[in-house]
Amino acid sequence: MFMSDKPIKGEKRVFMTGNEVCAWAALAADADIMYGYPITPQNEVMHYWTRLSPKHGRKFLQTEDEISAGFTTIGGVMAGRKSFSATAGPGNTLFQEPMSMAEMMRIPTVVIIMQRGGPSTATVIYSQQEVTMTTFGGNGEGFRVVYSTSGHQDLYDYTIKSFNTAWKYKFPTFVLGDGYQAKMREPLTMYDPAERGIEMVKPFPYVGKPGMPGTDRPTEYLRNTYNTEAELYDAIMEIARDYEKAAPEIIEWENVQTDDADTLIVAHGIVSRAARGAVETLRKDGIKAGHFRPITLRPFAEEELRKAASKAKNILVVESSYGQFLKLVKEYLYGLDKPIDTILRPGVGITAEEIVARIKEGR
Amino acid sequence: MRIVEAFIGEYASGKSENAINRSLELLQQGREVTIVDLDTVEPFYTLRPLKKSLEQKGLRVIAWDPEETHGLGEAGSLLKQEMLWALRYSGDIIMDIGYGVHGAKIFNLIVGAETDPDLKIYAVVNITRPITGNKEDIVEYVQTLGRVDGIINNTHLGDETTKDLIEEGAEVVTAAAKELGLPVVYTAVVEDLRTQFDDCDAQGNPLKILHRFMPDAFW
Amino acid sequence: MSMQPNMPKSWNPDTKPHKFCPGCGHGLVLKMLGEAIDELGIQDKVIFGCDIGCSLLAWDFFNVDSIQTHHGRTTPVITGVKRADPELIGIAYMGDGGGYAIGSQHLVNAATRNEKITVILVNNTNYGMTGGQMAPTTLPGQKTETSPYGRDPEDTGYPTLGPEMVAAITRKGAYVARGTMSNPKQLKKFIKKALENQVQGNGFSFVEALASCPTNWRTNAEATWHFVEKDMAEYFQVGEFKVPGAKEGEK
Repeated sequence: MFMSDKPIKGEKRVFMTGNEVCAWAALAADADIMYGYPITPQNEVMHYWTRLSPKHGRKFLQTEDEISAGFTTIGGVMAGRKSFSATAGPGNTLFQEPMSMAEMMRIPTVVIIMQRGGPSTATVIYSQQEVTMTTFGGNGEGFRVVYSTSGHQDLYDYTIKSFNTAWKYKFPTFVLGDGYQAKMREPLTMYDPAERGIEMVKPFPYVGKPGMPGTDRPTEYLRNTYNTEAELYDAIMEIARDYEKAAPEIIEWENVQTDDADTLIVAHGIVSRAARGAVETLRKDGIKAGHFRPITLRPFAEEELRKAASKAKNILVVESSYGQFLKLVKEYLYGLDKPIDTILRPGVGITAEEIVARIKEGR
Repeated sequence: MRIVEAFIGEYASGKSENAINRSLELLQQGREVTIVDLDTVEPFYTLRPLKKSLEQKGLRVIAWDPEETHGLGEAGSLLKQEMLWALRYSGDIIMDIGYGVHGAKIFNLIVGAETDPDLKIYAVVNITRPITGNKEDIVEYVQTLGRVDGIINNTHLGDETTKDLIEEGAEVVTAAAKELGLPVVYTAVVEDLRTQFDDCDAQGNPLKILHRFMPDAFW
Repeated sequence: MSMQPNMPKSWNPDTKPHKFCPGCGHGLVLKMLGEAIDELGIQDKVIFGCDIGCSLLAWDFFNVDSIQTHHGRTTPVITGVKRADPELIGIAYMGDGGGYAIGSQHLVNAATRNEKITVILVNNTNYGMTGGQMAPTTLPGQKTETSPYGRDPEDTGYPTLGPEMVAAITRKGAYVARGTMSNPKQLKKFIKKALENQVQGNGFSFVEALASCPTNWRTNAEATWHFVEKDMAEYFQVGEFKVPGAKEGEK
């Protein structure tokens, strides 16, 4: 293929599936290596990376499983290279072990999740049932960054952004998509980040720096184990401080006509599209609905959610899960006395019509 | 004369949509038509969910019905026996070939493909997909497919498609086809845009109207 | 109704014709397994575990209690069943991915502990169900969706030799063999001996079966057989690697 050094030059409007978008975005973000394992519905991320990466001097390894994919990604990062992986469902479950190491040791991994039905093997299709796991999985405190995308432009923008967020703040970072986004086809604009003024953060090695260890430079001794409770407490509180400090710079959200909304629809990811559509329809019918969409699920735009919710008379939480997102929302709305209605559809897509019908019912 | 056409090409290039349209076009001419789903790598966005509605129109559809695949767990890259014997059905045969590293090698599995006198294999190309975005890339890609008898210009950008874009695609695809020594079979145009064109695109390729069926095929 | 074709008694006729692809090796392996179960008269004792992948299509294949597990975890689940109730006959059925990639640690440990279960592994050199990705047993040069330019052994090593590995790490009481769908009689013999080994309580038994996947290989009948009989057999030797009671140095 006749490709220049830059995989994407300038800007181009293209027609693609979500998985492909992630592979291209990783190329544009100067990712060096992908470690991965087959699992539906994210296989095309690998299929495209394996075809494109050799033409751009990038690397790939198919590991023996997702535990290995997570730990090899950590290894790649420690060697100072932008490394990433992609997984889904049961694979995401296996990823929790390496991701808890990344949390403890502040390792900037980037992992793309295409949520599928759960728990266990369930379906290969779609869900929003990996919210709990991706935000607070493993045996950690959730010191992670999670972007919930709602379409292909998001997948492109936030895959690129994930590398920057990860390497700047050093928390494991996730692009939380789903099986619908992975497979659906729509246009988006691919661009060279430099042309949009986006400076790509340079990776740096954790180990293998030049010079003789102990003589020319301090030796790196990296660990994730502590001897006493006090030692652990200090270590965790330091991570917590860094996390809280970084949070305001990372948090993203979107308000759709929330200023004068009576009913506030709270939804994330692809369901946000249905919520948006519902607001449009309801407003045409004279009903004052609004939609709050958190873009980062971790850290969460708590203040902005409360602001939007306090203006409304009632709240409707909509998700393709049995309450994983609802749990987060309730936590952040603690103390705010507003009735909360829910549409909970584990593993099933939700349409704008359903949301409209529910809101009209309630009147 | 019997018509046997296979639509092959890159992932999400428009093979299924063109296959369905061609099948219905022939059906409307009063012909007997069978459409075959040969998507083995990614049986998601395929003919399966449309099977019943296409059969109601009068097509014979060789594909798994999603209900038949209940209880199988993963969607699977399963082939049905009838798919291998597709060329034995009477009437016209239209084949929707899935993407994959093996290109046109799927024909090794279809009994009689090697010797079928009527078989035509068409590569569907959409230049808004980066792997087939310019002449050189299209030539390189088509060469990896194996046997190809013609190219279809299916350039579009979903709802954002314009006449200019289709013409741009026609120009690039025609240049690539020339280099490959292949004909451009037609340029596909959605119904809404058809009136903006004359009988051919600016390169002189015939036009074919495309009706959209695949959006209903998303599971 | 029309006559039923000859089927093992332990097969569930209601789930036939099965949904494996035409030309798939699984059908033949499962037939040999069914006949072995019949001949040993153990149908009411067998617990059949299957993996994720094409092996999962066998989950309602037999009139035998069956468990579909997670990918690579069939060995430990069946190990768990057998340890809790040694009267049962535990069969762990999986593919090359389930056994040699994600399930390899379980295979190695079950073998080392001499777990009294029978593992039957179908080797068709690719991850079939998910669309044909590279597997541990993909041959050098073989194109798959994640080795689009052909498997490069310099980069990803050579195909896994499972039975050889299991034979090397097991001791007395183990039975290890590799059969092929191109010799069904011999394959059945191996499967039967493997199950007998468990019935006698000797130790771990393992049979790899070379099988075809024309769908993902994109091969016609002739090329399919050639791949199994020549290409695969050249790399993966067919035979018995360990037989209980054989003298040291003897296979």
